Amino acid sequence: MESTQFNTQILNHSDKLFRFAKSILRNVDAAQDAVQELTMKLWEKRHQLDEVKNIQAFTMRSMRNLCLDTIRQNRDEDELPVEFEYSEPNPHQQTELRDLATQIRSMINNLPELQRSIIRMRDVEEMEISEIAYVTSITENAVSVNLSRARQKIRDQILNEQKRVEETIWK
Amino acid sequence: MEMMNELLEKYFRGETSLSEEKELKHYFSKGNVVPEHEIYRSLFEVFELELKDTATSPLIQVIPKQRKIKQIWIKTFAYTGIAASLVLLMWVQLPQNTENYAVINGTRIDNPEYVQRYAQKKLNYVNEMLKDGLKPMKRMNVVNHTLQPLNVIKETQDKMIEIEKTHNVNN
Repeated sequence: MESTQFNTQILNHSDKLFRFAKSILRNVDAAQDAVQELTMKLWEKRHQLDEVKNIQAFTMRSMRNLCLDTIRQNRDEDELPVEFEYSEPNPHQQTELRDLATQIRSMINNLPELQRSIIRMRDVEEMEISEIAYVTSITENAVSVNLSRARQKIRDQILNEQKRVEETIWK
Repeated sequence: MEMMNELLEKYFRGETSLSEEKELKHYFSKGNVVPEHEIYRSLFEVFELELKDTATSPLIQVIPKQRKIKQIWIKTFAYTGIAASLVLLMWVQLPQNTENYAVINGTRIDNPEYVQRYAQKKLNYVNEMLKDGLKPMKRMNVVNHTLQPLNVIKETQDKMIEIEKTHNVNN
């Protein structure tokens, strides 16, 4: 792959890779590092990339593998986990979470990695089910099941939040 | 509204196509959303907002910068190689291009006979110069020959001293 192709097919999609890494790692700096690392690795192996049919799906899959390795490595080294565990928001966070959009982002972030990756690949990046199946190394049917579960969970949480707000108002 | 209800249910079951999902996004981006659906507006807004999430560090500069450094090295090696080749070529070609000529008083002379005559003439001149230069040496030989009797006198004196010594010892 020539440098021009590398720019158009990989570097121009670095924002997409960044969003995906951020979704998995749930940390901006770690996501940025992951994108840099992956880009450098791909650059070093650019001559082999000509054989790849769907370069974008390939880079997304490589990104996911790299991020999962990072999470595993952080766990092995007993460092602070990149992923954070969900906890009930404190009063300060509750103030911030008044905005429903922020709450929904938080809801998506608290989904299991596979589900949040799938929902973002589909609803944000508008990828085909077959591409998502390739990236996540699961069947298309499994992608649909996980997508459905992820959307249903978000829907339930939105409805619960709506109910909670209404109850607060009528108290 | 009925159609949108069905489409939303289909969406949460994970069965919608990309075009149907785009239709939903379009519906929620407009102002005429029915109150029953208003609760889901933020969900689709989040997807649009997340799409604007971009990488912060200057990733694009990483590869071209490396390429530039690499290009400098490639150019340096190329130019060095060309220069070395030229030197080698000249060195190889030089004996083949050797011509018989001489430079006399800054003028190139290709006529070998003329050069030979000129050289002979100069050598004769040198010979004459040497002859003139050795004339004083001949004069010195004459002086040496003239002084030869002086040596005889010295020998006679030495002999007389020897005889005198012998005579004194006998007395």
